[in-house]
Amino acid sequence: MPGHKLDVLDTIFHPRSVAVVGVTGANDRVGYNLLQSLIHAGYKGIIYPIHPRLENLLGLPVYRSLEEVPGPVDLAVIGVNQYATVEVVEQCGRKGVKGVICVAGGYREMGAEGKALEERLIAVARQYNVEVVGPNTLGLINTGVGLNATFYPIRLPRGRVSFVSQSGGVGLTILQKALDEGLGVNKWVGVGNRSTLELSDYLEYLARDDSTAVIGVFVEGTDDARRLVQVAGEVARRKPVVFYKVGRSDAVNSAALTHTGSMAGSYQMYRQILQQFGLLVVESALEMVAACNALAMAPIPRGNGVGVVTHTAGPSIVLLDEAGLRGGVFPPFTESTMERIRNIMGHNPAVVLKNPLDAAGRGMQAATFGRLAEAVLEDPLIDLLVAIYCLHLNWRCPTSEILAAQEKSGKPVVALYISSLEQVREERELLHSRGIPVYVTPEEAAWGVSALLHYARQRRGVNR
Amino acid sequence: MNVAEILELVRSAGRRYLCEDEAKEILSRVGIPVTPCRLARTEDEAVERAGELGYPVVLKVRSPLIVHKSDTGGVALNLVDSRQVRRAYREIMARAVAVDPAAAVTVQPMAESGREVIVGVTDDRQFGAVLLFGLGGVFTEILGDVSFRLLPVDRDAACSMIRSLRGYRLLSGYRGAPPADEEALIDILIKVSDLVAAYPQIREMDLNPVVVYERGALVLDARIFI
Repeated sequence: MPGHKLDVLDTIFHPRSVAVVGVTGANDRVGYNLLQSLIHAGYKGIIYPIHPRLENLLGLPVYRSLEEVPGPVDLAVIGVNQYATVEVVEQCGRKGVKGVICVAGGYREMGAEGKALEERLIAVARQYNVEVVGPNTLGLINTGVGLNATFYPIRLPRGRVSFVSQSGGVGLTILQKALDEGLGVNKWVGVGNRSTLELSDYLEYLARDDSTAVIGVFVEGTDDARRLVQVAGEVARRKPVVFYKVGRSDAVNSAALTHTGSMAGSYQMYRQILQQFGLLVVESALEMVAACNALAMAPIPRGNGVGVVTHTAGPSIVLLDEAGLRGGVFPPFTESTMERIRNIMGHNPAVVLKNPLDAAGRGMQAATFGRLAEAVLEDPLIDLLVAIYCLHLNWRCPTSEILAAQEKSGKPVVALYISSLEQVREERELLHSRGIPVYVTPEEAAWGVSALLHYARQRRGVNR
Repeated sequence: MNVAEILELVRSAGRRYLCEDEAKEILSRVGIPVTPCRLARTEDEAVERAGELGYPVVLKVRSPLIVHKSDTGGVALNLVDSRQVRRAYREIMARAVAVDPAAAVTVQPMAESGREVIVGVTDDRQFGAVLLFGLGGVFTEILGDVSFRLLPVDRDAACSMIRSLRGYRLLSGYRGAPPADEEALIDILIKVSDLVAAYPQIREMDLNPVVVYERGALVLDARIFI
């Protein structure tokens, strides 16, 4: 990518000042919400609301035009309609603004007339060397500097995962789910129609971004597919990239065309080519969050062997099923591990001892659970442990034991605490702080485990 | 003629589609095994070519205007003597000249049967040149058991294209059937990849069928578009 785009993207994500063009006093309008989001998320830079007649809004002085803004503007967020947007981009160019976010839709996704309008937008941007996020986008977020340049005023916990989404709505789905799961977000961008900035441009930027450790990408379709997979494959050698590609049914192809102006393309072809480049492909927004959660939290395991300790068999079977479909291997324990397990379990345990290890009633006691977890983690064939426990009103769950066992072995651990999200919150915070992802359903735990195993295989060069 | 010369000849004639003899000439130039494919412009020539190749033979219509040869009755298989060749020639030409007065035929030896696969290159709107591999007939057309890779492919990618098919066991051997020559298929995939990399004017290819034996593989029919 030309250095220019990279530099401008850096400015867009770290602006010292933001102009919001098209603010209004009506709190149900996008122009108002764009300003509200910036304030709500705690942006520390200078905000310049622009409106020809308003004096003050949300406690900030309003400027009549970009020209009247006294200082330099790093980023302009444009909330006016698609026609006026083109003029505002030109004003931005004259003001020396290098990055703009164009929220309005009504461009190439609307057919020939819209396409012509978008071509004008691109021509103006080129003329002044302005990079455009969108148009037809929700905007972008950088939690690192408290920047929420979208028209959805939300606050997100800061984290190491960044998302690039071809859809605002699916991007929001991912963010809301991440919020529920306690997964911190670093950067987020809705790419919209990709007039001057392609999916691959954002990926190249995030590849070089030290505060991003994992990247999630939602794709509908793009003419830039070849470069996208090549760039993503290159990025994935350094940090995990997770793709959610929509378009398994024929119905999607026409819907995606009218949505962001791109055909979805053959799903089968997309999936296989993404895999050719060593990339992880997930099948839902939920799986995206589960996968990113594990990859952001836990270290990449050294091998493919999964060990399971549980006190109830069913969830471990679901785990085996879901992870097995995605290449997970659950090797039998070595004889010395079996010896240790037999000693811990005592005489006549009411279960068959094997991997997954169902300790039944004895596994409900935190201390016994912890000793079993330790034994399994020390098995040379086991590279990752899944600890399954059903939270109970009266029983203490084995969080401290799991933490101790993990610390001793240094191997990644995934916790499946069957619970409501509300009930698990406290334990989750503790486990997260020590690099253990926590799930409340066996499917999500399996998706997290599979993501770790995928990148374990990719690191060993056996993914293709 | 070398590959570049054949492609240039087709281009300068304003054609997008290479006739089978031209396509196979290109394939054999880059080391992909094809059935011999001799051009014959008259009935006597057809008999002469058949005699040279040895019976049984196949006759196929040869015209830049007829892409789907068998759909228009343009293919006659397993002709065992000159009498059958003459009759097939007349039948094929009777239909073909209506479409293309300059139509001819190609004469090819009848290949032994084996397991059929297809190898293709498609010019995808989003990805550009993509390589396709699948098992022949219903497996590809009805079950969609096909693998795709972005071109170019290396050995590992070619190998995984074959092994990731759901129907891979039909190639690797089942119920006592011996394994097909996987190396020969890998070799074809890599050579197709190299060919397209060297001559990007090739936009689409369809090697269908390719027959794979216990030892070796053979391209029986080939279409190339520039």
